[in-house]
Amino acid sequence: MDSKGYSGTQYRPLSDDQLKAIHESSLTILEKTGFTFESGLDETLEMVQKAGAKLDRERARIRFPRDLITTEVAKAPDRVVLYGREGAKDLDLGEHRVHMGTGGAAIKILDLETGEARATTLNDLHQLARLVDKLDNIHFFLRPCIPTDIPEAEYDVNVFYASLRATAKHVMGGVNDVDGLNQVIELASIIAGGREELKKTPFISVIAGFAISPLKLCTQSTLIMQEAARNGIPVALSCAPMAGSTSPLTMAGTLAQLHAEQMAGIAVCQLTNPGAPLLYGGIPGMANLHTMGYLGGAVECGIMNAAVHQLSHYIGVPNYNSSGLTDSKIPDTQAGWEKGITTLLAAMGGSNYVHHAAGMLESMIAVAYEQFVIDDEIIGMCCKVLRGIEVDAEHLALDVIDSVGPGSNFMTTDHTLRHMHTEYFGGNGVSDRKSRIKWEKGGALDARSRARRIVAKILAAEEKSYISEAQDQLIRGRFNVLLGN
Amino acid sequence: MFDLKAVADAVITGNEAELAELVRTALDRGVPAKRIMDEGLLAGMDTVGDRMESEEMFIPEVLKAARAMGSVLKTLVPLLAEEDVGVAGSVLIGTVKGDLHDIGKNLVKMMLEGAGFKVFDLGVDVGPEKFLAEIRAGSPGLICLSSLLTTTMPMMKKVVDIISEHGFRDRVKIMVGGAPVTQEFADRIGADGFAADAGSAVKLAKTILGQATNL
Repeated sequence: MDSKGYSGTQYRPLSDDQLKAIHESSLTILEKTGFTFESGLDETLEMVQKAGAKLDRERARIRFPRDLITTEVAKAPDRVVLYGREGAKDLDLGEHRVHMGTGGAAIKILDLETGEARATTLNDLHQLARLVDKLDNIHFFLRPCIPTDIPEAEYDVNVFYASLRATAKHVMGGVNDVDGLNQVIELASIIAGGREELKKTPFISVIAGFAISPLKLCTQSTLIMQEAARNGIPVALSCAPMAGSTSPLTMAGTLAQLHAEQMAGIAVCQLTNPGAPLLYGGIPGMANLHTMGYLGGAVECGIMNAAVHQLSHYIGVPNYNSSGLTDSKIPDTQAGWEKGITTLLAAMGGSNYVHHAAGMLESMIAVAYEQFVIDDEIIGMCCKVLRGIEVDAEHLALDVIDSVGPGSNFMTTDHTLRHMHTEYFGGNGVSDRKSRIKWEKGGALDARSRARRIVAKILAAEEKSYISEAQDQLIRGRFNVLLGN
Repeated sequence: MFDLKAVADAVITGNEAELAELVRTALDRGVPAKRIMDEGLLAGMDTVGDRMESEEMFIPEVLKAARAMGSVLKTLVPLLAEEDVGVAGSVLIGTVKGDLHDIGKNLVKMMLEGAGFKVFDLGVDVGPEKFLAEIRAGSPGLICLSSLLTTTMPMMKKVVDIISEHGFRDRVKIMVGGAPVTQEFADRIGADGFAADAGSAVKLAKTILGQATNL
C-alpha cells in the first residue's frame, strides 16, 4: 500500500484571520526589527541592499521593506520535486501532499545487541540507510546521525556516499561549508552521469540552517544556501527556534518570528537565483523550561508544525518541518504517544516533507535501529488517515448486503476478498494482534523486541549497492571514501 | 504422470472451477482418488493451514480454499468409499444450549471439512439430549462444543456428563472452544481437548482421532 503523497489539511489550527494576522506581523518584524549578521556576508548584504533592503552596518542590522519580501517570495516555485533513483518514487512536493521520513543529526545510537547508548559511526549511518531502504512508509532518507568516528573534514562526501550506496530513496543532508557542498554535487554528478542530469532530476538535496534564531544570519549556512540555489540543488531553509529561549514563549509569537525568518531566507535565495527550488523550512520547537534545552515531543510542537504548513502554503512554497520527536531515551510507551500524536498532527496538517519522523529519541540526540521500524508503522497509520473513507456503489456494497442476507456473514464473499488487502492498513509486522496464548508461545515479545527482530532480518540480507562498480571506482579515485567495499 | 501439485495450488488459491477441472482430469487419467485426496487436496490445505498460522493468509482466503475443497470432496468421497478408504474422521459440532453465536463454530466446521473430516452441524442452542441422540444414531468419533458466553459454558459440562451417564464416554472424544473457554476449563469438565482457534482445532482433531484409531 503506497502511503506517500496523500493530501492533508484535515487539521488546521489557524483560522484564515489568524493566518493573515501572523503573516502581516512577520512582514512588520522584517521591516521594523530586521535581521542581524556576522562578518563574511558582504556580497550577500550588498545584493539585498541593492534590491531595496535597509542596511545599517554600524549596528549590524538589515531591514526588509514588505514589497521587497512579497515580490521575491512570489518567485519561489510552489512545486519542488525531490527525485529517487532506480524506480524509487519521486516526492512531488506542493499543495498539501504529505511525505514523511528520517532526519536529525544524532550523535548517540542504542546498540542493537546491548541496548547501550554509544557514539554513532559511519557504519551505523550506512546500516540505517540499508534499513530505511526496506521500510515502505519512510519516504526519504535524510541523514539521521553523524559519523563521529571519522574526521569532521571528511563528513560531507562520506555521509552522502554511504547514503546513496544503500538506498535509492531521495537523500538529503547537511554540509560543512560551500566547498563540501561542491564536493557532494560532484559526487552526485558522477552517479547521475553528469551535472546537467543531476540538475534535471536532483536525487540529493541539502539543508541549510541559514538563520540562528532569533533573526540572525549564519554566515557559513547562508553561503551554503546561496550556493545550492545557484546550482539548482533543492535546499531546505532550516530554522529551529525554541519557544521561550530563542523565540517568544507563546506559539503565535514563535510562528510570527519563524515566518519572518523564512521569508527573509526565501528572498535571499530568489535574489541569488530567481526560481531556485527551495523548501520553507520552519521547525518550531520549545525550550524545556527545566533545562532550557530542546524539547521535541511536546504536543504543542505538533500543533505549531501543522500551523507552519498553513503559513508556507499561504505564501505558496512547499514546506519541510518535523514530527516524531520524543524526549524519551528509549523506544518505550512515552516515545509511542509523543510520536503518534505529533506525526498524526503533521500528516493531517498537510506538511509536504516531514523529517525527524522516523528513528529519533532523546529530543534529537539519539537514534535506535528498532525505532525506525516502529516509526515506519506509525507513519503508515497516519498517512492512511489521509485517505479517508471511500463511499461509492462498490464500497457501500448494497447488493452484497442483500445477497448475503440477514443473519448470515460476510467472511467468504467475493467483495470481502476483493477489498481485504487494500481497505485496511497492513503494517510491517511489528504490530502484534495474536491471541494471548499464541503471543506467549512466541516468546511474549514487546514492541521493541519485535522491532529488533525485524531489523535483524532486514540487515541480514545481502547488501545491495545503488552505486555501480564503475561509478564506485571513479568516486574512490576522486574522493577519500572511508566506508569499506 | 499427472502433476498433483497443480491440484494443491488450486486449493491454495481457492479456485473452485479450476480445482474441479483438475480433479476430473486426474480421475480420467486413472489417478486413484486416495492419491488425489492426500497429495493434492490435503497437501494444499496443509499449506493453507501453515500460511494461516504464520498470518500470511487472511481467514477469508482460507475459507475460500476450504470452500473449494469442500465442493470437490462431494465428487471424491463416494470414490474413496469405493476404494474402501475412510475419510479423516466423523465429527459432530454445535453451539451449546442458550447460546446463538455461530461464526466460530462455522469457521471450525469449514476448516475441518477442508481437512477431510465429515462434519454434522447441529447448529446453535443445542441441548445435551440432542448431542446424545445424535451420538446414539451416528457414531461420530469427535464431538466439538462451542460457546461464546460465560453463562453457557456450564452447558458444556452437562454435555460431557450426559454422555458419560449413558455409557458413551469412551466411544467419543470431546473438544471445546470459544472465546471465554480455556484449557483449564476443558480439563476441569473432563473434555479431551481445547482449541483456541480454528487452525488449532483442526490440528488437535487430527491428533485426538489419530490417537483414538491407534487404540
